[in-house]
Amino acid sequence: MKFPLTVGAAALLAAAVPVFGNDYALTFTIQLFVFVVLAYAWNIIGGYTGYSHFGQMGFFGIGAYVGMLLMLHLKWHWAAAALAAGGVGLVLAVPLGVIMLRLKGPFFAISLFGLTRVFEAVSFEWSTFTGGGAGLYLPPIDNQKMLYAALALLSLAMLLLTWWIDNSRFGLQLQTIRDDEGAAEALGIRTTRLKVTAFALSATPAAACGALFATHLAFIDPPTAFAPVMEVTTIAMVLLGGLGTVLGPAIGALVFTVLNELLWTRFPDLYYGLVGIVVIACVLFMPRGMVSLLVRARLVAPGRGAFRRIAATSAAASASATPPSAAPPAP
Amino acid sequence: MTRPLLHVEDAVKRFGGRVALDGAHCAVPQGSITGMIGPNGSGKSTLFNCIAGAESLDGGAVYLRGERIDRLAPHTICERGIARTFQLTRLFRDMTVLENLVAVAHTFNDRQAVERAMRALELLEIPELMHRPASDLSYGQRKLVEIGRTLMLEPKLMLLDEPFAGINPRLQNRIVGYLQKLRDEGMTLFIIDHEMRIILDVCDSVWVLAEGRIVMHGPPASVRSDPRVIDAYF
Repeated sequence: MKFPLTVGAAALLAAAVPVFGNDYALTFTIQLFVFVVLAYAWNIIGGYTGYSHFGQMGFFGIGAYVGMLLMLHLKWHWAAAALAAGGVGLVLAVPLGVIMLRLKGPFFAISLFGLTRVFEAVSFEWSTFTGGGAGLYLPPIDNQKMLYAALALLSLAMLLLTWWIDNSRFGLQLQTIRDDEGAAEALGIRTTRLKVTAFALSATPAAACGALFATHLAFIDPPTAFAPVMEVTTIAMVLLGGLGTVLGPAIGALVFTVLNELLWTRFPDLYYGLVGIVVIACVLFMPRGMVSLLVRARLVAPGRGAFRRIAATSAAASASATPPSAAPPAP
Repeated sequence: MTRPLLHVEDAVKRFGGRVALDGAHCAVPQGSITGMIGPNGSGKSTLFNCIAGAESLDGGAVYLRGERIDRLAPHTICERGIARTFQLTRLFRDMTVLENLVAVAHTFNDRQAVERAMRALELLEIPELMHRPASDLSYGQRKLVEIGRTLMLEPKLMLLDEPFAGINPRLQNRIVGYLQKLRDEGMTLFIIDHEMRIILDVCDSVWVLAEGRIVMHGPPASVRSDPRVIDAYF
């Protein structure tokens, strides 16, 4: 299926939920969109750049608190608070990225997990500001449909951003870091600048999403804002759908959220274990994610098509312009 | 006497207690194919790594057109005009050949980058590999693609780290032809390799490195017959 068709079909489906769905469908889809945004955000740094980490909930949690405090104390509208939370995520991510991205592999992954635990501890202890363990409460917003629309738009923006990354030289250069950072650096690619950019592109929507999630719950406390379960779930979604792909995070989030809901309602005592078994099975038998099955079945196009298309049009143009006997010009 | 394009002065590099470069020096004239030979462990690849910025020198200096470059980051050295290949090929395995080339192009828009990549592949007579994943290529094909990738950078100087190692003589001869063609077009090439026959045939001048020091420099004919070279290399 062509990419615009896929996006159009998904947008139509998303638009139908608040019109035809009940409150349960609306809440379910809001939570799905939260995971779609988080999965796409993590995919930029973990999937395309190869810097997997366990610290995204740090930005999500900070965004949740920033949004909540702006709404509570300065009476900001939730949309403005979410934008500000995204801005705070960006401002934090740049210096943190410069420092933390000197680490590689498991050291980077674990250090960000540790940093998130520090953020959580601070939010527990700084109770005059954050409400501590009791958390912060907001009056629930009347119109959840507007919140739904905001999260749907953010999800769409993340999908389009990922499509652009997948089809740009910026994206290719991120992947050179994933494949061989030393070689990329030796070949003139400014890896530090690219890594920090990818980290900021990943942190900003996560922080904005945190503010929208807090608005949806009308409540936030440290275990909810910095939840390790959400961190692991997000990563599992990306692995399930397809790491470093355009549609993988959305597919992974959809399948995982539906599966989670089905298992939770039928096997409340066993569902965590069952979800774990399903994820392990998928990673073992589909290491390139569910998207690879769809590509093999020719239901979706393989990624990074832009350069193939340019090469095809260039070849066609030169074939029509150049006599067959002409020697190729030197580079 | 004209100033060389590349000049390495008294390079020293230690790894713990082991001295890999012990005051090595060399110069690469503009528009030449310059070779460096030496037995295993003599410090050839370490010298290349120091020139390209992958390793920092413990002493000495590297100059490109008279400008000192040994304290610069690898990407800055590359931007100044030095592009390299690797002893063991290091293509980006999850990408196609075309993407490997396009990814490193800095100064072109997407269409120009793709067209330049296509011309480089045509020059190397491997346009049919364009859409093949790099992980599917043979060792020799990977060597050719690495040369193509350096061409994307429009370098002033190409550092070729053992371009003839592990490939068949027919492909070796093909690569010799491409390198001579590039030299004729004005490119400067600096090659290290074990293939004495090719290095002595293709290079304008040859440096001989042993135990981190230069033991001999001269035209291939004099290097071939020098007793110090025979002693160090054979």
